[in-house]
Amino acid sequence: MRRRHFGYQDKVLLLQHGCTELLALAQRRGAALHKLLSGSSIFAQDLHKPLGRLHHTDWLMLLQNCRQQVNSPELPYLLGSALLNSRYISLCQSLQYAKNLRQALKQLYYFRHQLFPCFYARLYQQQHCIVLEFKPALGLANQQAFMLTALCALLLGLIKQQLGTLDGISLQLQQSAESPALQQQLFGGINLSFNQVADSISIPLALWQQEFNHANAAEFNAARRTCRQLNRVLPPQRALPERICRLQRRALPQLLSQEQVAAALGLSSSSLKRQLSQHQTNFAGLLDEVRRDAAQQLLQQGHYSNRQLALKLGYSDEHNFRRAFKRWTGLIPSSFKGLFNFN
Amino acid sequence: MWRQHRYKMLFSLLLLLTGLLLAVNSGNAKHSNAFDALDILGEGTTLLVAIGWLGLIISSRPAGRVTEWLYYGSLLLVYSYFLDLLDEFIRYPEHIRLMSWLESLPAPVGMLILTYGLVGWHREQRAINRQLRGRELFLRDHQLIDPLTQLYGIEYLQAVLQREIELHQSQHKSLSLLVLNIDNFAGFNRRHGMAAGDTYLSRLSELLSSQLRHSDVVCRYAGDRFIAVLPNTALKQAQIMAQHLRQQLAQLADAEHEPMLTLAEMAVQQHSAQAALQQAATVMAQAKTAGTVKFQPS
Repeated sequence: MRRRHFGYQDKVLLLQHGCTELLALAQRRGAALHKLLSGSSIFAQDLHKPLGRLHHTDWLMLLQNCRQQVNSPELPYLLGSALLNSRYISLCQSLQYAKNLRQALKQLYYFRHQLFPCFYARLYQQQHCIVLEFKPALGLANQQAFMLTALCALLLGLIKQQLGTLDGISLQLQQSAESPALQQQLFGGINLSFNQVADSISIPLALWQQEFNHANAAEFNAARRTCRQLNRVLPPQRALPERICRLQRRALPQLLSQEQVAAALGLSSSSLKRQLSQHQTNFAGLLDEVRRDAAQQLLQQGHYSNRQLALKLGYSDEHNFRRAFKRWTGLIPSSFKGLFNFN
Repeated sequence: MWRQHRYKMLFSLLLLLTGLLLAVNSGNAKHSNAFDALDILGEGTTLLVAIGWLGLIISSRPAGRVTEWLYYGSLLLVYSYFLDLLDEFIRYPEHIRLMSWLESLPAPVGMLILTYGLVGWHREQRAINRQLRGRELFLRDHQLIDPLTQLYGIEYLQAVLQREIELHQSQHKSLSLLVLNIDNFAGFNRRHGMAAGDTYLSRLSELLSSQLRHSDVVCRYAGDRFIAVLPNTALKQAQIMAQHLRQQLAQLADAEHEPMLTLAEMAVQQHSAQAALQQAATVMAQAKTAGTVKFQPS
């Protein structure tokens, strides 16, 4: 049976898909290669092997080393744009030849295991914008903000390059702003807000169908073919926490027990527990997250009473739901709704 | 240099004074035949040396994080040695342990803080060695230096500009800014690769800081934008400097005249750094649209 999810120690990342770019950037900023690689299981001579791989433990180690050795807040932005323009990543090449943003993002999402297995996204429409909400698919420890910034820099770089404008795009980040003025500059002056309830980017509907500057169907198909070939070495797999969250989300208002989820994933309950602890999370925590996201989404979309929400989210009564909501956001549901409508 | 540390000095004097008062209050003076000359000499010398360190730090270091560590570490040492010396002259009753604690505790803590400050100083010095003159003004924080261009970034610029604006306005002098933008730098990066872009940036910053005067400071405002603060410079002078820079920058461009640069100058009349930087952005936008100011390095 084909394994559908990967673990922390599975080598699912290609060195060429980010690692070499990051190392080159850090080295040009005065860091020594042996210090960047220390603590990881990567060898300097493997770096230029075309299909060399690494696992997430190494990647997180590498990120941490880079941030320790190189004190440059623009590093994630540079990584994002370096990835976008890399000649070795056929996925990014294909993005640039796409017909429009819709096709490009579809492509990126379909092949995301080749570039950003650490995030998954959810789409919904809000007034005149489509909102992309990013969720971490695995435990990223304290590197989540870095990776998210790299991803956003890649997306915004693509839009800016192909459509020539970033008008109307806004970015909401959960992280707190370290230096807001600098971030604003680095993101190219888009509408940026920090300390939000979710990491999301909202793109006006008009931009989705606008044709890309370098749209080229033949090139796009060729690049996509290369991506498909790469799938043979790097089969589409998702991280375990993402799979669990999806299962739970689909099952709502029913709540799956740990045993049920483990059975659905073909794992034993104890190995599920062990693997989750590698991601620095646990089953109850994931379920809580799923319910939080679902609650926020429902509140943003429609007018539900607390009782209806409690039913939809599998709470036994509305008081429990209210208490949980207050724990997540610090607000009671009605004032959260008010906050949202006001915006 | 010591003028930057006036509050710190006042605070230290007060601290020592409270130590003295506390000692006088809680103990009685010894008889002169109970004095131990050798002890007084030894402890007096250590106190003098520690005070000397404090003086050196104050007179040689600009305000900043590392200076704080060094200063407060030494201050704790001075405090401890001061009380140590005092007890040669004053006898405390047996039941009051406070004075002996105050005497012995601050010294090791101060040593640790001082050591931490020295490590910071070492790192800072390494960062500075790579950095040329003309890149900083009055504040020093090596964590704000961009490792690629060895220039300070936006936060430093805001701090420096705010201070310069206040200084210049109180003295009725004129302050100017030079704004340099690399046009379509993302495109350049895309065509020539990130490595070429990085090389270009470091060459450009090298050239900028070597072509400006020592009193000027160049900062990297954003990925592709540099801003130079020109203290004590009227707009006329700034225009001449901009003209000169344009000629010098021409040698950086490659065979295809890439990337294009836009250079604009402005006089600062705003009362805050924020407003001045906004104005700089507008000036740059105007310069970009008006073809006259744009120049093609050849």
